[in-house]
Amino acid sequence: MSKGTKGTKVVDGLYYTKEHEWAKAQGDLVIVGITDYAQHALHEITFVEIMEPGTAVNAGEECGLVESMKASSDVFSPVSGQIVEVNTALEDAPETVNEDPYGKGWMCKIKPSNPKDLKKLMDSKAYTAFIASK
Amino acid sequence: MSEKLERTHLYEWHKSHGDVIPFAGWEMPVRFTDIREEHMAVREAVGIFDTTHMSRFFISGPQTVQFLQTLTTNNVTKLGLNEGHYCTCLNERGGIHDDLMIYRIGEQRFIWITNASNGPKIKAHLIAHANRYKVTVEDRSKDVVMIAVQGPKALDLLSRMAGADISKHPRFSCISTKLAGRECYLCRTGYTGEEGAEILLLDTPFNESGKKKAIAFWEEVLKQGKDFGVKPCGLGARDSTRLEAGLVLYGHELDEDTTPLEARISYAVKFKVEPHYIGYDALLKQKETGVNKTRIGLVMIDRGIPREQYPVLADGEKIGTITSGGMSPVLDCGIALAYVKPDSVKDGDTVEIDIKGRVRKARVVTWPFYDPQKYGENRSQ
Repeated sequence: MSKGTKGTKVVDGLYYTKEHEWAKAQGDLVIVGITDYAQHALHEITFVEIMEPGTAVNAGEECGLVESMKASSDVFSPVSGQIVEVNTALEDAPETVNEDPYGKGWMCKIKPSNPKDLKKLMDSKAYTAFIASK
Repeated sequence: MSEKLERTHLYEWHKSHGDVIPFAGWEMPVRFTDIREEHMAVREAVGIFDTTHMSRFFISGPQTVQFLQTLTTNNVTKLGLNEGHYCTCLNERGGIHDDLMIYRIGEQRFIWITNASNGPKIKAHLIAHANRYKVTVEDRSKDVVMIAVQGPKALDLLSRMAGADISKHPRFSCISTKLAGRECYLCRTGYTGEEGAEILLLDTPFNESGKKKAIAFWEEVLKQGKDFGVKPCGLGARDSTRLEAGLVLYGHELDEDTTPLEARISYAVKFKVEPHYIGYDALLKQKETGVNKTRIGLVMIDRGIPREQYPVLADGEKIGTITSGGMSPVLDCGIALAYVKPDSVKDGDTVEIDIKGRVRKARVVTWPFYDPQKYGENRSQ
């Protein structure tokens, strides 16, 4: 999927940050990952490291790191809360983020301290315009 | 950005085949397919790189040898016709202005090849000193395209294009030859640790005709190299291959405050030379009294990729800093070069790297990082 889209795929119903993370409400949790734009810019992702379950995070602050052949890139949490689950499958297959950034490439699940934080982010329309302007 | 970026003759080809990014004031391809794929093409077959962004000076005149000996640290007199060597150009304190190659192509005629990032600085340095000698310094950077052809199949490919056996010329030689009918200098050197050469294509002025010629040549190399498995390679693979080979990069391992002895490139330095080059006294003093820091290699034991500026710790105490780091495709883990306090660690020791607040273990090793029996120009198979 990602090799053909050149980093332009945006999924409706998700929320987006200026740092190219996406957030999706699932029950009382928020799932977080990086966007097609981000994976395309990084290209060959070699390593994904997210802070451990139990870690408290603040919106806009680092919650992890993505390494690619080109560079390191911080992952910033879209919401404040506590990390409850990390996608450990990415340890052995970091390239999953390149292949399926919105699906199997999810990075962590956060229990948000304020579910309204999501509404402060861009919706798919705003994010599409944001990346088009870059 | 107020400064306009420069482009090589091959820019249009790079733009339509790869991912072009700004580098040292130039728009250069960082990759064409995957950095890892290009890197492994260099290690297993042959990769080609556009290195035209580097500066090329042709220096001639009756006092060329003295001129070059004043400015560079290796033994210029010892270079025979068609021979080249690696050297450094120092400041008065023994710190490095640039690391470079010089090749003798005539009795009193040399080619000086300098890093892209140091082009303007070195040009000014050459011109300033040329005033005191009977020499002419010609900047041929814009009308001589340079392409590196690197890998275990590189010499086979170049021999095919030359219609002659290139391997009979020794390493570090620089010969005048024709490749696919095109006049060039072929220098048996490189920046990947592999066999191969750097080609200087003559008669490629920076105009429409010269650009066409350059692109036609680049495509001819790809065509003739097809059955050797040739791949075009960008700056990403250039950096990953030189790092795996343990080669230094200006701006990372080398700078105005670092000496060649600290960088452990003392093969670029000689002391039994006349006249003494700029920086000679400072370097000799350091040789006697000791270096302030020393370069080491590191391989990750724990997960993580070391990057430049990350601290290196031993027993919880900071002993140095990473200068270059990245993923090694051959080892499939992170590797790095770093400077540490002299005598703080030895090969085989375990140290820690502070990767963005997470402390991860690494082992001190010597380069090259790959097994030199399996990869590199001295491989046994």
